[in-house]
Amino acid sequence: MRVLVVEDDKDLSRQLAEALRDSGYAVDTAQDGEDGHFLGDTEPYDAVVLDLGLPTIDGISILQKWRADGKSFPVLILTARDQWSEKVSGFDAGADDYLTKPFHTEELLARLRALMRRAAGHSTDTIEIGGLTVDNRSARAFVDGMPIKLTSHEFRLLSYMAVHVGRVISRTELVEHIYDQDFDRDSNTIEVFVGRLRKKIGTDRIETVRGLGYRLMDPSGKTGKVEAIEDHSK
Amino acid sequence: MGQKATSRPASLVGRLVRGAALWALPLLAVTAFALVWLYRVSTYQIFDEPLISTVTSLISSAETIPQDSGETIIALSKEPLDPRYQRALSGRYWQIISSDAQISSRSLYGGAIELTPEEQSRLTDNPGQQISGSSPGPDGESLRFVARSVILPDIDAPIIMAAAMDQSPAKRAINRFAVLAISVLAALTLGLIAAIVLQVRLGLRPLFELRDRVADVREGVTTQVEGAYPREIAPLAQELNSLITHNRDVVERARTHVSNLAHALKTPLAVLTNEADRHQTELGNIVGRQTRTMTSQVEHHLARARAAARAQTTGTRSDISASIEAMSRTLARIYGQKDLDIEADLSPDIWFRGEKADLDEIAGNLLDNACKWAKGRVRVTLIATGETGFADLIVEDDGPGVKPENYRKALQRGERLDEAIPGTGFGLSIVDDLVRAYKGAVTLGRSDLGGLSVTLRLPSALPPKPETS
Repeated sequence: MRVLVVEDDKDLSRQLAEALRDSGYAVDTAQDGEDGHFLGDTEPYDAVVLDLGLPTIDGISILQKWRADGKSFPVLILTARDQWSEKVSGFDAGADDYLTKPFHTEELLARLRALMRRAAGHSTDTIEIGGLTVDNRSARAFVDGMPIKLTSHEFRLLSYMAVHVGRVISRTELVEHIYDQDFDRDSNTIEVFVGRLRKKIGTDRIETVRGLGYRLMDPSGKTGKVEAIEDHSK
Repeated sequence: MGQKATSRPASLVGRLVRGAALWALPLLAVTAFALVWLYRVSTYQIFDEPLISTVTSLISSAETIPQDSGETIIALSKEPLDPRYQRALSGRYWQIISSDAQISSRSLYGGAIELTPEEQSRLTDNPGQQISGSSPGPDGESLRFVARSVILPDIDAPIIMAAAMDQSPAKRAINRFAVLAISVLAALTLGLIAAIVLQVRLGLRPLFELRDRVADVREGVTTQVEGAYPREIAPLAQELNSLITHNRDVVERARTHVSNLAHALKTPLAVLTNEADRHQTELGNIVGRQTRTMTSQVEHHLARARAAARAQTTGTRSDISASIEAMSRTLARIYGQKDLDIEADLSPDIWFRGEKADLDEIAGNLLDNACKWAKGRVRVTLIATGETGFADLIVEDDGPGVKPENYRKALQRGERLDEAIPGTGFGLSIVDDLVRAYKGAVTLGRSDLGGLSVTLRLPSALPPKPETS
């Protein structure tokens, strides 16, 4: 899962990015309104943390532009403005949640998880697929109750596939959602990661759909059917 | 208290009425005095006529008869005809006074018309002089006399001829007139003062009108001083309007500053809080504690600055329906998973007499609290009350409700009745603070939906008149 943080305070931006990476997300940061808007406009994020008081373009305007352009990723507004009238304008502009500074990182993470969960249609942070458990809260995975060791990239890959369990996901989409923008993207590395994941969680759990991509599935219950691939790269 | 009352500036009506009384009262008093004096003069003129004619007839009928002894006696060839001169103490008398003898009417009955020595000497020193005056009569009455001095042949010293009459009828007439004149003038004075008061009040009516319109602004009925005023006070109304606008600008600026300060301080506080959370060392703990103190200080002073800004605003009113609608829309998104049904029964003719930001804060916290607790239904009702200038906003939910013994606790700052739901109770205390600042009241109760019912008594105003442009 990939998250964009638009925050002009360097320290806060760094803290947020670290906390999010520790929780298993790929993170991009932008420190002014123009950059933030551009990134949100061009990259397929799974969630955005947006400050309101930003240089060049304010947060509300950015949000309105994104929503006008049809961007539907969940947006959490992070601001010092705690008046209800400001909350109303934030939600009216298209926000999905609103958190006021100062805040505890744990609360921000919990809310972001809830937003992404809601966007994907899950009701808990823990996704259970035939003996495989992906806990997005602690960024850990278990097979039949036994914890498995995963690198951060491996966990992101597994987490993204678990959230979209049963759907065929293209390599491009996987690249876009597990790497941040600074990473050297090579879709061949995806094959390497999928290979390593298969070794750790069981080969039959990840199906390769030739020419289309990969699909996470329950090897016993045959969950999910092949759906048309959504083109998330646009 | 009494001393303060004396040092208080007088009322304008009082000043103007006193000013008018200052010239009207002496003028009326002088008029009364002059009228009585004129009446008195003319009364005595008429009164004196028979006396003068008696004196004249005395002079014309006086004869001198030289005696063998060398003396000369005075005799009257013809006594005045009026029979009253013959009747004793009739009230009409005459008298001839010479240096050595005097002849009197019979009516004097041995008495005399007593002239003072000054009057006598004035007459004898200036022969031909006529004077009039008062003197005591033989019967104790007050007499009006006319006296003239004449030189008769063969007598060296001037002779005084006097006639007198009881003057009490004249005095009575004059007194009657004086009483009448003074009462008529007193009535006139009262009428005049009443007319002045009326005129002053009528003249100052635009000022009273202005006062009422300014009160309207203060009470939030209007935002500007409305109406057309006479040339003299139109600039005052204009100045008041500029002052109100300026005041509003100042408040707006203050709010902006407060908001900027909040933003400027809260981001560093967020950084420090998060950094402290990550480091479970002694330094981390100290920074964590201190940032919590700083945060509560910032919140406290922001609240105070907002309250100070609020106290200065006048004449604003805000649309309750619009605010509730916005909050419902927002809360429906915040509690998106809960599938809440927020019913609103709002009277569109009732507006809040106060700042929109405060109304939003009240409605937001109140509805947020209701949505937090509600299982599925929240009901908002806005109705007029018996009390003029106040309306009731009632928010109910179908949640677990609050026990009556906890009502007071629920409104106290920082009280959380259910620790499991973060922020519960805090919102209600903010609502209570705000509503109190607007001199309203918060009452908790049980709703027929099953949960808590919160009734706010809020200052209300009429909606603004639709713009005719």
